[in-house]
Amino acid sequence: MENTDKSLLDAHRQGDATAFAELVRRYGNSLLGYLMRMCGNREQAEDFFQETFKRVHEKAHTLRGEQFKSWLFTIATRVAIDGLRRRRRLQVVSLTQKVDCAEGRCAIAVADASCEPSQEAVRAEQKEQVRLAIESLPDRQRATLVLAYYEQLSYKEVAEVLSCSVGTVKTQMYRALKTLSQRLPDVLE
Amino acid sequence: MKGHLTNKELIEYQFKLASDVQMKGVAEHLEGCAKCREHLEQLKRKFSALDLLREDVEVSEDLISQVIEQAGQPVQPKILSIWRTRWARAAAAVLMVGLMFLFVRLSGEGRRYEPVQKTDKVIVKKPLGPARDRPAERLLVAQANEEKAELEEEFEQPSGHGVLASAEPGPAEPGPPFAPASAIELVVLPRRDKVQLTIYNSADLTLVRERRNLTLKKGWNWLQFMWANTLIDPTSLNLEPLEKADNIDIQQLVFPARLRELGRWLIRSEVSGQVPFEITYFTSGLSWRAFYMGTLSQDEKKMYLQGYVRVGNSSGEDYEKAQTRLIVGKVHLLDEIAELARRQYPYGSPWPIAHGGRYDYSGRMAGDEISLDELNLGWSGVNGFFQEEGKLRRREIIKEGLSEYFLYTIEGTDTIADKWGKRLLSFEAEDVNVTSLYKYDEERWGNQTVRFVSFANDEDHNLGETPIPNGNVKIYSQADEPVSPSASRCGQGYLSYVGGTGIKYIPVNEEIELNLGPARLVKVEPKSMDFKTDNYMFDHKGNISGWDEIRTWQIEIANTRELPIEIEITRGFDTAYWTLQADIPYEKHDVTHARFKLNLEPRSKQEFGYTVTTYHGVREEVIP
Repeated sequence: MENTDKSLLDAHRQGDATAFAELVRRYGNSLLGYLMRMCGNREQAEDFFQETFKRVHEKAHTLRGEQFKSWLFTIATRVAIDGLRRRRRLQVVSLTQKVDCAEGRCAIAVADASCEPSQEAVRAEQKEQVRLAIESLPDRQRATLVLAYYEQLSYKEVAEVLSCSVGTVKTQMYRALKTLSQRLPDVLE
Repeated sequence: MKGHLTNKELIEYQFKLASDVQMKGVAEHLEGCAKCREHLEQLKRKFSALDLLREDVEVSEDLISQVIEQAGQPVQPKILSIWRTRWARAAAAVLMVGLMFLFVRLSGEGRRYEPVQKTDKVIVKKPLGPARDRPAERLLVAQANEEKAELEEEFEQPSGHGVLASAEPGPAEPGPPFAPASAIELVVLPRRDKVQLTIYNSADLTLVRERRNLTLKKGWNWLQFMWANTLIDPTSLNLEPLEKADNIDIQQLVFPARLRELGRWLIRSEVSGQVPFEITYFTSGLSWRAFYMGTLSQDEKKMYLQGYVRVGNSSGEDYEKAQTRLIVGKVHLLDEIAELARRQYPYGSPWPIAHGGRYDYSGRMAGDEISLDELNLGWSGVNGFFQEEGKLRRREIIKEGLSEYFLYTIEGTDTIADKWGKRLLSFEAEDVNVTSLYKYDEERWGNQTVRFVSFANDEDHNLGETPIPNGNVKIYSQADEPVSPSASRCGQGYLSYVGGTGIKYIPVNEEIELNLGPARLVKVEPKSMDFKTDNYMFDHKGNISGWDEIRTWQIEIANTRELPIEIEITRGFDTAYWTLQADIPYEKHDVTHARFKLNLEPRSKQEFGYTVTTYHGVREEVIP
């Protein structure tokens, strides 16, 4: 029988190193995906990922009744929003990410395309447009959209993560979708 | 439901944002309304673009290992988190004052006045987040000023300017402690006492030397240095005690794993108390450039020349009250400092740091070597230069030769904040004799006359103290009578812009010619008056084997200026085989060119003619 999140966290509290590793592996992909969509940059997302699990480790004893997943995403959201705010304030430019422009991404996509380079190029450009559209959303709206749409959390779970009411989540979601309906590209059939 | 569904209703329906009742109503409407169904399909297609980003993201094993390893570190208990809040600190301060008052009253000493001894703050740092997330001003932990100290717990302690926290306070341990992996119980550095910048203009390189007073404890001490968001080269960091060196040993500089953009020095001290230290490192992002302003006299025979330097800072770090020194000369570097500074981890340094902390350049300098000793970087002469016998005077830039380089030291100190620039006067020379010369050379400048001003960097020209670094020069001319003699001297007469150009490094006793661009008031007009061929030669088959071409030119020069001018006209013949008959003297400039020099009176015209014969084929042999 698979260990539950709670049992793993309990084991971690008792000093079982493997329990924490299992939690990281269990939610790692989903969390990194969330953070990447939140900040649009893998390097930054990995930093946030580390910071999130660092806080999980440090605050494991504070988790009471709530679901681990919601709690994890709550921490991640705080880390991401704080980090993005700081990044905006500092205007940090990624120096290791050589290609950081839309053209560059497209160029890479073209180079990687196994077939139909022209279609791949258009697709890459559309992906970039989607990414930029999502990136342009306010932090709370973006978090709501990513959690509800990409992470498939229910609105109730999103409300738990964002520590707000379901009504607020729906409002944020609607606003995000309304904005996106004007900014998303028309995709290829 | 009346009419058609709105966008809002459709979005809410599609993403289940509406209430159950509304959802049901919309579903019923859609069943009977093809237009709304079509509209909904359009919306679905639009939002399907979101799925382009629905790709699987996989966490790398490295990242998982790092996270797990990070979790392996013991959780640091929070230290005095109550001090985070302002009210708690305020309450504590009131309590402290009250207790002190009581103590003084009870001890009976309170009636006698005693000066209050100033105490310095000791700041105990909390665990920090990743260094890269911290602002640039956190470069050194100790730079935390009082505003920023809100994140920190503060205590009052009658100590020196800063505290170097022991890894394990108490008696000296026999062996060094393990390098802490997280930012705990580390050094708090005080503000810089002095800082000296030596900026090279040929490379993006600055040597920073800063002096700070640290308070050491007997035993092992850790000192943390952060360079997040700056362009400091971590491989160049060096720390040295300026006093009590026999009792203090800088054991190692550690770059802790998993922590970025910070390094920690392990210091073994046999003494406790305040010790001045010097930290040196290279940084990128500081630069300086020279530029010049020349004002020609009305007769254009003299020039008032002012040299300036502009120091700019984009290094990410503020340097307050820094003594600034500028190096003129080319430095050969194997690495770009900016690249080193931006590396994720400083390991694998290509610059070995020699034992004792002094830099060993021998491996990286090809031919041109500079060492710190050679730079003679003394601290003397930093302060108190600006007031002499109660009179303020302009600061000077002191220049001195240095091997292949030249060192300019800006007098006094300057605060060079990040993203700021500062312009300083480097030198000024009055009555520099200059020569104005107009040149006409179609091959180089087309049919425009170009104006030049030349002078020499020597004593005869009131210059020659130092080489003149490369930079831009702008030349102005006094266009009208000055308002007053003093205004004239100060260059406050009516000025007109004559032209500008870039100059290269001018060594002492070398001449410099400034190209001020096209001169519209001096016209040169060559006219072709005649062309003929002559002296045909034939080979044994009757083919042409040689001939002469004879061209006659008339050159008209018009000087519409109010001043006499000297002009140099260069004519090219496209062959080395030519002879010339001219109305005026000429000089053979090179194998294919002849040069005429003329002097023209104000508002005058002059003409001269010449006939050039060029020899081709076997006729070339005519030329001896």
